[in-house]
Amino acid sequence: MEMDMDMPDPDELEWMESHGLVPEEEEDAYLVDPDEGFVPPPGDSDQPCDSPQPQESAAPRANEASGGLKRPPPPPPSEQDEEEERSKRRNVEQEDEDWLRYSPPPAPEIVVAEKTISRFASEIHGDSVPVTAPNGERVYAKLAMEGLVGRGISGTRQGAHFSNPNSNHKGLLSESFHSLTRRAEQEALAKALQESTDSIDHVACSVTPLVTEKLWVEKYAPNSFTELLSDEHTNREVLLWLKQWDSSVFGSHIRATGDDVLSALRRHSSTIHKNASNRNFFSKSKGGPVASQDDTPLNAQSSNPEGLGGSFSKKSSVDNTPEQKVLLLCGPPGLGKTTLAHVAARHCGYHVVEINASDDRSASSIETKILDVVQMNSIMSDSKPKCLVIDEIDGALGDGKGAVEVILKMINAEKSNNSDRSTNGEETQGRKASRRSHRTAKLLRPVICICNDLYAPALRQLRQVVKVHVFVQPTISRVVNRLKYICKNEGFKTSSIALSALAEYTECDIRSCLNTLQFLNKKRVALNITAFDSQVIGQKDKSKSIRDVWKQVLQKRRLKRSGKSESLFNEDKDINSLFTLISNRGDYEVTMDGIHENFLKLSYHDPMLQKTVKCLDILGFSDSLTQYVYRTQQMPLHAYQPPIAITISRMVAQVEKPNIEWPKALQRSRALLLEKKDMLKTWQNQMSPFVSRHLSVESFVEDIASPFLHILSPLSLRPVALNLLSEREKDELAQLVDTMVSYSVTYRNTKFAPQGKANISVVPHEVSSFSLYPPINDVINFKGYQSEHIGLSLAMKQVLVHEVEKQKIIKDSAGKLLNQSNDGDMKSEASSAIRKKTVANPIPPALHSSKDNSNCSSSTLEMQSNSASNVNGKDSVPAKKHSSRPTNFFDRFRKERPVDAKTHSDVGLHGATLQRDSRPLIFKYNEGFTNAVKRPVRVRDLLLS
Amino acid sequence: MLWVDKYRPKTLDKVTVHDQVAQNLRKLVSEQDCPHLLFYGPSGSGKKTLILALIKQMFGAGAEKVKLENKTWKIDTGTRTLEIELAMLSSAHHVEMNPSDAGFQDRYVVQEVIKEMAKNRPIDAKGKRAFKVLVLNEVDKLSREAQHSLRRTMEKYSSSCRLILCCNSSSKVTEAVRSRCLNVRVNAPSEDQIVQVLEFIGKKENLRLPAGFAARIAAQSNRNLRRAILFFETCKVQQYPFTSNQAAPPLDWEQYVSEIATDILTEQSPKRLFAVRQKFYELLVNCIPPESILKKLLAELLRKLDADLKHEICHWAAHYEHKMRLGSKAIFHLEAFVAKFMSIYKEFLVATFG
Repeated sequence: MEMDMDMPDPDELEWMESHGLVPEEEEDAYLVDPDEGFVPPPGDSDQPCDSPQPQESAAPRANEASGGLKRPPPPPPSEQDEEEERSKRRNVEQEDEDWLRYSPPPAPEIVVAEKTISRFASEIHGDSVPVTAPNGERVYAKLAMEGLVGRGISGTRQGAHFSNPNSNHKGLLSESFHSLTRRAEQEALAKALQESTDSIDHVACSVTPLVTEKLWVEKYAPNSFTELLSDEHTNREVLLWLKQWDSSVFGSHIRATGDDVLSALRRHSSTIHKNASNRNFFSKSKGGPVASQDDTPLNAQSSNPEGLGGSFSKKSSVDNTPEQKVLLLCGPPGLGKTTLAHVAARHCGYHVVEINASDDRSASSIETKILDVVQMNSIMSDSKPKCLVIDEIDGALGDGKGAVEVILKMINAEKSNNSDRSTNGEETQGRKASRRSHRTAKLLRPVICICNDLYAPALRQLRQVVKVHVFVQPTISRVVNRLKYICKNEGFKTSSIALSALAEYTECDIRSCLNTLQFLNKKRVALNITAFDSQVIGQKDKSKSIRDVWKQVLQKRRLKRSGKSESLFNEDKDINSLFTLISNRGDYEVTMDGIHENFLKLSYHDPMLQKTVKCLDILGFSDSLTQYVYRTQQMPLHAYQPPIAITISRMVAQVEKPNIEWPKALQRSRALLLEKKDMLKTWQNQMSPFVSRHLSVESFVEDIASPFLHILSPLSLRPVALNLLSEREKDELAQLVDTMVSYSVTYRNTKFAPQGKANISVVPHEVSSFSLYPPINDVINFKGYQSEHIGLSLAMKQVLVHEVEKQKIIKDSAGKLLNQSNDGDMKSEASSAIRKKTVANPIPPALHSSKDNSNCSSSTLEMQSNSASNVNGKDSVPAKKHSSRPTNFFDRFRKERPVDAKTHSDVGLHGATLQRDSRPLIFKYNEGFTNAVKRPVRVRDLLLS
Repeated sequence: MLWVDKYRPKTLDKVTVHDQVAQNLRKLVSEQDCPHLLFYGPSGSGKKTLILALIKQMFGAGAEKVKLENKTWKIDTGTRTLEIELAMLSSAHHVEMNPSDAGFQDRYVVQEVIKEMAKNRPIDAKGKRAFKVLVLNEVDKLSREAQHSLRRTMEKYSSSCRLILCCNSSSKVTEAVRSRCLNVRVNAPSEDQIVQVLEFIGKKENLRLPAGFAARIAAQSNRNLRRAILFFETCKVQQYPFTSNQAAPPLDWEQYVSEIATDILTEQSPKRLFAVRQKFYELLVNCIPPESILKKLLAELLRKLDADLKHEICHWAAHYEHKMRLGSKAIFHLEAFVAKFMSIYKEFLVATFG
């Protein structure tokens, strides 16, 4: 009977082992509160060894009995229970003596004899249970079939005492096992009977406490700083930050916290060795308590610039407020962020004003609220200053943004004021304050923001300007201790194994733990590890951030102890949890991208790259699957995505922490690709249709780009004055210019272009360089690839720019003259004037020689084109569509006009044609390029040539 | 103007490379009517040139006066109005456009433009050629839906509109569309033909070609006429008079791919694969189609490979190209190919050298 009661289930045992809880530890934990009513006595730790024994024999009955025992209301322990306890203790003592008396029987012998117990799970047929003796020895015991009761009993009984080499069954059981079980049955029956009568009046009396009962979460919320469960380091940081406000908030009437106190606090928070520094601190601050600003006897001003906090104290004496005015606490839910904020603020003497998601959070309403809190002092003199806590600031994006914006505005206003102050020098504090209050608000009170997801998009800007504290999970032992304390207070019977399992299950979410416990307490059900999955302890259905998903996929869970059956069990669990994780996240495409981005960086063992091949094959399959799903809209097929990720995880996951990166490369490449395509498309549209219609982006990039660039930068061109060029060179130049015009390529003046870096290294000054526009050379600009293309010299480029512009103008005006007469002139003249400026601009004043050069060349060009006696003019006329090539600029118009007039059958154009025909000669003086020499030319000369 | 454009034949008579095709087309048009046409063949073989020459043959010089316009269509889909902007070249007789630029909305563009053409049906006094021609480029990139919608409109408005479709691979054009068109296959020109063209240009430009020079360029061009002419001009620009063993500078992206191939052959490890991935990204970003990358990479790898492995590698390249076309993230499949290659190659190395 006694044994039945305290017997942990085999599952529990298994769990215990898998989580590395050695029974001894647990024993220690119990010894802390030996007088606890319902915590099992120390004998418990020995019992697990025998565990399988009664489980099989009297499994249903024993469970009943224990269930019955656990159910009755805890607070007044019945006499019977006490009796039991006493007997238990006796039993234990007996057992202990037995240990001393008997040497352990040799285990290996029996292993050979019976296959119910073995050191190796593989030697046992059927299910087995691992059992660990207190001395660390470990065996596997066979689980008996339910049907073979008789055999099972004898087998497992034998197995049981062999399994525990330190105890002997003779000493352990004074009566025979059968009589014991019989007694247990009887007692259980009696108990059940008693309980059934009890429960009636118990229900009646339990109604009254229900009314007044509070949530445990609130009831046991920490009231003082020392009670806080969260990480000590974080707590101290927060307190330090709040303390920094003291001088500005409490000002003169309450003495500010001494600087050395602050510095001590600071040192505390920065050093993890709390105890050591604690002592240190007390000695330094002459016994002054950490937190009570009233008691601090030191004057801030007098003890100012000494000690470790020097840099800080200087700052604070100027500003009187911390550098970062807003504190942002973030972390998963239920770790006590809100509690910390409240407790710390109260501790420092503030009145906490909380704004949370349930309040109105539109920007306008929140602004007034914040202003109320942050700027005003209440009229009553005794009231405390306020501290604003904005909870769940990352909450609703649309509304939450309001708060974020207001805070940002205030911080920014603060900053600009600071800069003002530095320029203005010292002003009186009062004047400044008044002036400031007319403008945007200033943060005069501490503001603590709380969020769950630090990387929520709404917080992006805020993140940069505030002090951020990330909450980490408190250690399980801490949480368990607290839970145990609460359970004890509430009289709820639990074991610390179960509690720590619960804590782990909820990922140290204290709130959820407490709620679960309270719920169970209400239902009068004991916390049971096996029932975690089925019991009310709902697993949080939260989708983790995508980063966590990647981490889970690429990082192997560390196995505490590797046993075969366990690891199988664990693997199963891992796969399940991964599956839910990935499918909860749902964003399969990004998930796969992330895996693809990161998996090659893992150091998995793969000499022949077979794993890599497999992973990539799988990823490729996932890609095809996604594509198929989108095309056919067969969304259910998405269910096959998580297994894909799991497969990869099984192959490449490593124990060490992966350095996960966001799959930027893929997204970046997509964006860049679009950008480049767009650039090329626009360029293509600028070209004359006769060229562009034969081009596509692909064909350009694949076939044309590199030869085209070569063609654009001929080696033979010399950067000399045009009149010095040979006939052939002129031809080549003309050809080049023509190509550039028809492909609408030119050079642009760019400063600090990426390819200009080479130039800069040569010439230390800031030299403006010309680069191709549109930037075609980007297309062949691969990272880590040195192309053979040689750019033209600067002077040459200038000449080319000039020439291209000229050609364009000629072409434009030619086109316009074909269609309309007068306004075309005006326009081209105007545009030429403008172009003149643009052309004149790029010539850098630093390069005199090149300037001269270009001036000179332009003048010669001017002459050439004006006098129209040059071959150059003939080649550069872009009148490809006309079969007859005119010999000079003006001839062309004379000949073409009639042809054109014929083709234009349009009535609207007819008038224009008539008007034009009335003036047989159109003379257009292209003024744009006479920047060097002006020379009178007779019209007659032009006509005759 | 580049020689590519300068010496492009403007009429069917002047077409030299595909003269047989040109003859057939001329006969076809001489009847004053023509069926829908589908031109397909590799890039740089002269499809577009043939099409334009054909149009000129049909409509005379009038078809050469084109203007570029960015047209915006407002399409009412019932629930909402879409606005699609697309650049197109149009003359009095024909319209050229690239409907795949409209992305997944190409269906509407195709339908709209044909309907519009049917509405503004040209009236010819002699009752001849009362149709316009619509030239659609890159039909193989049209979505399946667009091709399906094309199918019906092609028939419905055939009295007022002729379609000339142009694509690289006819396999991506649906069966239904193909059967409604007269398919014209435009081969890649043979090297001899390329040599002819280059010599013709050389004569026109008054250049002296050393013996074997044109042939070398033709070989380098991979039977792509556009490339050949561009190479030729590059050579001319870089060095004239030509030397006997002068060669055109290689294409930059091909050079880059061969660098990748060298990388792959020197080391086979996940780390190297990661480096290769970055290089692939570089290529992809610069608009190089992944299919071309794979093809070129395969060629480069095959050059340096043991004969025993060639067959297998080719098989895998085909396999991954197929996968690539099924999926949308080319990088996955390119990488998978490289990984596969590395795996096979490493195994081979270990087997041969221990």
